[in-house]
Amino acid sequence: MTAPCIIIGASHAAAQLSLNVRQQGWQGDIIVIGQESFLPYQRPPLSKTFLSGEKTVEDLLIKPESAYEKANVSFRLNTQVVEIDRQNKTVTLNNGDMLEYAKLALCTGATANPLPILGANLKGVHYLRNAHDAIALKSDISSKKHAVIIGGGFIGLEAAAALRQKAMHVTILEAQDAILQRVVSPEVAAFFTQLHESFGVVIRPNSIATSFEGSEAVTAVTCNNGEKIPADVVIIGIGVTPETRLAEQSGLTVKNGIFVNEFAQTNDPDIVAAGDCASYFHEIYQTDIRIESIQNALEQSKSAAASMNNKQIAFSSNIPRFWSDQYDIKLQICGVIDGYDAVEIEQDLEKRVLNALYFRKEKLIAAIAVNNPAWLTKVQPFIKNGEPVNNELIESMRQK
Amino acid sequence: MSANKVWQCITCGWIYSEAEGLPDEDIAPGTAWEDVPEDWCCPDCGMDKSDFTMVEVGSNGLGF
Ligand SMILES: Cc1cc2nc3c(=O)[nH]c(=O)nc-3n(C[C@H](O)[C@H](O)[C@H](O)COP(=O)(O)OP(=O)(O)OC[C@H]3O[C@@H](n4cnc5c(N)ncnc54)[C@H](O)[C@@H]3O)c2cc1C
Ligand SMILES: [Zn+2]
Repeated sequence: MTAPCIIIGASHAAAQLSLNVRQQGWQGDIIVIGQESFLPYQRPPLSKTFLSGEKTVEDLLIKPESAYEKANVSFRLNTQVVEIDRQNKTVTLNNGDMLEYAKLALCTGATANPLPILGANLKGVHYLRNAHDAIALKSDISSKKHAVIIGGGFIGLEAAAALRQKAMHVTILEAQDAILQRVVSPEVAAFFTQLHESFGVVIRPNSIATSFEGSEAVTAVTCNNGEKIPADVVIIGIGVTPETRLAEQSGLTVKNGIFVNEFAQTNDPDIVAAGDCASYFHEIYQTDIRIESIQNALEQSKSAAASMNNKQIAFSSNIPRFWSDQYDIKLQICGVIDGYDAVEIEQDLEKRVLNALYFRKEKLIAAIAVNNPAWLTKVQPFIKNGEPVNNELIESMRQK
Repeated sequence: MSANKVWQCITCGWIYSEAEGLPDEDIAPGTAWEDVPEDWCCPDCGMDKSDFTMVEVGSNGLGF
């Protein structure tokens, strides 16, 4: 009897990987070990419809339990892997159990960055990474209350939109000059600033929270300029850190993520990694990157599943894609907006138009569209194939 | 062939064009949406086929 295929983490990457490993021919057992208490559920709604709507976590399951039963994939939930022994090919669980593996997958994701300032343990101070966080936050939502969101990234902005829909007062504290600095260009950041302001959100740039006030529950956030902003609810959304502890401890290569090749293999051929925890060399951008998106987790998982079955599917020249929903807007990004030297942009907030093309050395490297998926689909092959961009493509964005 | 409609994933906005198909996933160009396997999932968000809607992008597909 061969040892099982073990998958650590039970989220987007693990769900895809577990079913794919079976589909692609794995004969032995498949065991998914996750420290959360739910079967894999969709994370994106947690900062969107879950906050403003009526759905439960059970409604968000990626696949029904029956799909895993059918594929004979078993789960050990509420269970953490605490150690990997690569020599003996075993993993140790937090209850002391030791399991042998034939193939191992690290789908450990990422963890919200903490903000370890005074008052961070007060009631009403939240993170937004998992269902547990979202349930706690949701129970604190109520109209007329004040919410202060720390960090103007996608999670913070989506949460702001959801809380405004619930008629809360919302202030966003952004440490930089503008929101979304890390991910998009200034014009796009300005578009989203105006969007949120038009819905009544207060955005404060260059504002750093220095402490939370209150005795039991939070009552205010103190900023670097000494100002105290009233707050009944705080959401900390200041980025994530890839969960690489097990990889480091077992001597796998880690470079801002568990480093994998184009087939999602680590430097140990029996161990793959996929999703938010994994970094790799991107063939088109010619640089090491780590992507935090569902599409990335899905594609790496397909490659990882193939590798576990001794097949090869390369993912490292795929163009990263990401979406975000805020109010009546669906933003889509394809490519990596980094190191561009020219931009073509068309925008009109009132009409909900925002199309942007980013170039480096006359090659298209990324594109953004708001409520315009068909156009973005048309643009993508230019990035992938490195084709020179003609005026027709640029004109197509103006015609919307 | 009339398989020239365009479908959009409600969750993430990903587009399925019948004219283009999805050759990477063995779905040939010209495959009508109803002929895409029921267990197929959106490549960008992983949602099931039932989470798609049809988008009208003219009668001529995406015009690639
Ligand atoms: C609120 C929110 C909104 C988002 N919105 C979007 C969006 O609109 N579009 C988009 O593309 N992406 C979005 N993302 C990002 C997307 O959810 C992530 O890219 C995706 O969840 C990555 O999946 P993963 O399986 O790699 O990791 P994760 O989802 O982080 O899951 C990793 C799991 O592994 C578990 N784990 C870690 N270590 C261990 C261990 N030692 N033992 C056992 N279990 C362990 C963790 O507890 C966790 O459950 C959003 C994320 C969040 C949090
Ligand atoms: Zn989708």
